[in-house]
Amino acid sequence: MRFGVLWALFVASGKMFIRNRAAVFFSIFLPLIIMLIFGVLNFEGSVDIDLGIVDESGSSQGTALTSELEGVDYLVIHQGELDAELGALETGDRDFVIVIPAGWSVPPPGTDSGLTAYAGSGDPAQLQVMEGLVQQAVAQALYAPGGGGATAFVPPLTFESVESRDLGYIDFLVPGIVGMTIMQLGLFGVAFGFVQLKRTGALRRLFATPTPPTYFLSAQVGSRLIIGFVQVAILIGVGLWFGLQMFGDWLTLGIIVLVGSVIFLAIGFAIAGWAKNEDQAAPVANLISLPMMFLSGVFFPRDAMPEFLRAITQFMPLTYVNDALRGVVNDGDNLLALGPQLLGMSVWAVITFVVAVLLFKWE
Amino acid sequence: MATVTDEPTTAAAAVETRSAARPTLGAPIIVVRDLRKRYGDLVAVDGVSFEVAEGEVFGILGPNGAGKTTTLEMIEGMRPIDDGTATIDGIDVRRDPREVKRRIGIQLQASAFFDELTLTELIDLFGRLYEREVDPAALLAMVDLTEKAKSQVRTLSGGQKQRFSIASALVNEPRVLFLDEPTTGLDPQARRHMWGLVRLIRDRGHTVVLTTHYMEEAEELCDRVAIMDGGHIIALDTPQTLVDELIGRGFRKERVERLANLEDVFIEMTGHDLREGD
Repeated sequence: MRFGVLWALFVASGKMFIRNRAAVFFSIFLPLIIMLIFGVLNFEGSVDIDLGIVDESGSSQGTALTSELEGVDYLVIHQGELDAELGALETGDRDFVIVIPAGWSVPPPGTDSGLTAYAGSGDPAQLQVMEGLVQQAVAQALYAPGGGGATAFVPPLTFESVESRDLGYIDFLVPGIVGMTIMQLGLFGVAFGFVQLKRTGALRRLFATPTPPTYFLSAQVGSRLIIGFVQVAILIGVGLWFGLQMFGDWLTLGIIVLVGSVIFLAIGFAIAGWAKNEDQAAPVANLISLPMMFLSGVFFPRDAMPEFLRAITQFMPLTYVNDALRGVVNDGDNLLALGPQLLGMSVWAVITFVVAVLLFKWE
Repeated sequence: MATVTDEPTTAAAAVETRSAARPTLGAPIIVVRDLRKRYGDLVAVDGVSFEVAEGEVFGILGPNGAGKTTTLEMIEGMRPIDDGTATIDGIDVRRDPREVKRRIGIQLQASAFFDELTLTELIDLFGRLYEREVDPAALLAMVDLTEKAKSQVRTLSGGQKQRFSIASALVNEPRVLFLDEPTTGLDPQARRHMWGLVRLIRDRGHTVVLTTHYMEEAEELCDRVAIMDGGHIIALDTPQTLVDELIGRGFRKERVERLANLEDVFIEMTGHDLREGD
């Protein structure tokens, strides 16, 4: 390894990228613009309240209360064990949790409901409105139909406050955009530039020198990785300014970004190594990137998909990357907690690397 | 038809110099023996042998598909050799292509560079690829591209690109410079300018091997030429000897060459100055 040669190629490769306006636009500004557009649109607008119910009563009255609440339009009811529901409250997946204690029965109107209620710590104004809605729903459910509480409304619940994460759409969006950007950089930033060098013969000109072509390949990979990290830093920086919350540590995030980049760089080089020109490379790159852009949970949660689609898309490389990124950023997961995603990413990294080596042709 | 030369004599003795101050030619620096290349059923190069003397300008002529470029690329170490040997400066190309590349300069037929880099940056980069410190300004001055030193390659005209390509092939002070159709597509002024450049390079002691489709150019520049057809060398000698032999076999042009031709008119009227309007 002659580092002087490698360094010269690395610098040249970086300069070539920065001076290529199309490459800079598509890989740095486009993701930023997409993020800003989606950030401004803010898909949080729905008033659905996620209410967790822990039914420990074992009585028909408890079941009746739950099914009454399920009938309320603006409530999304989740049922589970106390620990699970409180955990979900802390991570922001529930807005409130109501516990129906053992041996509970409907109390007389105007008295405390006897239910235990927990509220997360979100935006205070929003929380107050939502609390009111839950109080009303519970009061109606308790004394339906048209029970005695109508004249003097007495709130049946006393909320206990639980320290929780208040995750907004921006918290969902930014890791997704980061994942998408890593993918685009590998697939388009690398594949297209390289195929062009192949087609014009600029690559051949390098073969006329005594420097092995692998040096150029290494320099390209190195410079693209650096550019990738700069892009991620810009996106997260802008995200933080827009209210993104970072719960994990930066090193873990860096590792996820690195492994993710390796996958998509390998795909990029597989396409670039196989294709003779840009016309061959473009459809393949799009065929790979478009489904992932829309099915790997970049903009919208995969939870919203039909079951069969969710089952298939969970194995996509970008799904693993996005899930891992959200794990770090939203939930503060460490590498151990991200084991399944890292395993999936590693398998993809190996597969894509082998395919790239098999398909690669210099000319 | 000239005699097929399988075992050419050393160039030095046979060369008739066209220009006044011709350096004496030395020992063979390139030795090619029975070179072969096959693409499937197509035999592109079929047993080619020749030698090039140090300091010589050697031309390879022939119609398209004759095997000129394939021969050149095998000697340069750019294309695997199926059979036969080629040595440059005593180094076997098949055994150590990297060492050969260290000693030669290559101008490819379609010369492309990294478009986003300036000429100075590219010359610097190529220097680094040979692990040499180079003086980009001096090299660019030599090929008349000083004004373009800070421009990117994409802004160059065809002739400028060819000259830059030659400058980039000279960064390692090569023993042999290979030029593949250096004047194809150039206007008469740029072509003449290129001829001057090739002579300058020869005068500096570099051996030059070039291919061309222009016979006038071969007569003008080459000490010796090899004519290829169908993967064989069918003639190899000095241009003057080849012409004399043809006349000796009784060949006569139907019309004796005029004292001037249209190209002379063109150059006389438009001048020798390069036209590179940018």
